[in-house]
Amino acid sequence: MHIDHLSLTNFRAFSRLDLDVPRRVLLVGDNAQGKTTVLEAIYFLATFTSFHAPSDRQLINFLLTDEALVVARLVAEFERKKKKHTLEVRLIQEINGSGQTRLRKEILLDGSKKQVHDALGAFNAVIFEPQMMRILEGAPEERRRYLNMALAQVVPSYARNLSDYQQALSQRNALLKLLAERGGDQEQLAYWDGVISQHGAAIVHARIHAIEEIERQAVRVHDQLTNSAEVFRMDYQPAFDPLQQDASQYKLPLQVQSVRSGLSLDEIQAGFSQRLRQLRGEEIARGVTTIGPHRDELRILCNGVDLGDFGSRGQLRTALLSLKLAETGWMKEKSGDWPVLLLDEVLVELDDQRRDDLQRYLAQGEQVLMTTTDLKLFQPLFVSSSALWQVSAGKIEQQTQSQ
Amino acid sequence: MSILPQPVQALIEAFERLPGIGPKTASRLVFFLLRSPGDLTERLAEALNGLKNGTGQCSICFNITAADEEVCEVCRDPRREAALICVVEEPLDVLALERTGGYQGKYHVLGGVLSPIEGIGPDDLKIRPLIERVRQGGINEVIIATNPSMEGDATALYLKQQLAPFSARVTRLARGLPMGSDLEYADQSTILRALAGRQDMQSGS
Repeated sequence: MHIDHLSLTNFRAFSRLDLDVPRRVLLVGDNAQGKTTVLEAIYFLATFTSFHAPSDRQLINFLLTDEALVVARLVAEFERKKKKHTLEVRLIQEINGSGQTRLRKEILLDGSKKQVHDALGAFNAVIFEPQMMRILEGAPEERRRYLNMALAQVVPSYARNLSDYQQALSQRNALLKLLAERGGDQEQLAYWDGVISQHGAAIVHARIHAIEEIERQAVRVHDQLTNSAEVFRMDYQPAFDPLQQDASQYKLPLQVQSVRSGLSLDEIQAGFSQRLRQLRGEEIARGVTTIGPHRDELRILCNGVDLGDFGSRGQLRTALLSLKLAETGWMKEKSGDWPVLLLDEVLVELDDQRRDDLQRYLAQGEQVLMTTTDLKLFQPLFVSSSALWQVSAGKIEQQTQSQ
Repeated sequence: MSILPQPVQALIEAFERLPGIGPKTASRLVFFLLRSPGDLTERLAEALNGLKNGTGQCSICFNITAADEEVCEVCRDPRREAALICVVEEPLDVLALERTGGYQGKYHVLGGVLSPIEGIGPDDLKIRPLIERVRQGGINEVIIATNPSMEGDATALYLKQQLAPFSARVTRLARGLPMGSDLEYADQSTILRALAGRQDMQSGS
């Protein structure tokens, strides 16, 4: 799929931006001029959340945030499977009676209002950016977030399961705490156990399969990128492990994975709800839900070594590239379309060989937008086939290229 | 820093606290009242004063009643089926059901739903009085009509557990597609629910 036209209003530093978007775009300019913002906006249309800002509020042009009503608007006209669509997101910030600001998000797909869960998947994008190193180095939460953003785009109802799970989890934790502090009827837990295991099982089931599929692609890519020097592996460690029942038998990690993917949704759900039942006393004592996808871990290993613990800089960069390219391939396989590829200052971090490998891969993509401070990092052919956008102080000028 | 006299400003602020009213609507209402004939503001003030003093709760179903009435109109009405209780969250839900004219039983107003996050447990709702009503016998069916939200469902399941020892049948309102709507525009979870709750077609329907 690809975007034909993008327009942004009051989005971060851009008060107004209206652009036809070609298939290859290089955004050039100094730092802090708004290059990344363009990528952020496009990625926002795919996930309805920002990879940068912790809160949607920060996406609204800061010069306007004191006004009573501010609307930030993102509109993309895109083409998918030869059909044209329009996707619009409005972030509406208003001040209510008691003087507090409130942010509303409205999503319109082809002119009709949609809920986030129903609009997800309409438009897909993959983003590469330097801060993503935290996927490998950061806390498990970073890897869960990474999985969620990829899965929500292509697995129908994943996002809905996730948000229902979160809502039920908050209620269940609050109830566990109430029961611990004040006592009360433990049977109130039955409903929340049911909801948690239903949505939790769907999340775990989707993750088992997605990780297996992404790993399959990543192994191949990583083998090429490292000239067969390293073997890439992803080791999913669900906090509620549906295989835990027969943990007495030792299994090799690879076997565990393939056995897990043979489990049906119903089996996982039944196991999950049974386990919650067993843990009830302990969970009430601790006042918190101790198992479930909110505590899952995903380890990424090269040659059997956990990269988060022992990877060198160079190893981490290559592994991240493998992971991202695999995500792209996986998304394409699942949705039948190339996602729009967004790369933020990625080349700087790579050596010459990887840089060439990456550009060769990108050349196949349907639409690619990249930011850079330095055009010299790119192959001349790549530069000459791309549109150059000069970004400075929240304005974009389209440059005509001198041959 | 307001240039408005204090009484005007105070009323604007009071209106702004109401649900669905923003600063603009609040000012418009206040200036309308300011220019309106005196008896309107007096009647409004009287009505507001009477609101809390003049109302009470039905001692049986906990719906709102006039202050001098111990029992509400529905509970007093001998023509209504006493063996049928419909359990709702709020008095407004009673109104919604009454408007249909299709329900001839009695009600029970819980005064909310179970929500651990807000610290609302079974004892904060009128659940015990409901169980007491059923325990006393003579009830054939309890229809649970809490909203189709997670909290509404949690409350429904809890009620079902609590009512299990009694002989009364416990039912839940059906959920699915709204009348006159378009399948195409329904959201995914509604369609899934409607699919899961599909029924055999009966002749004439």
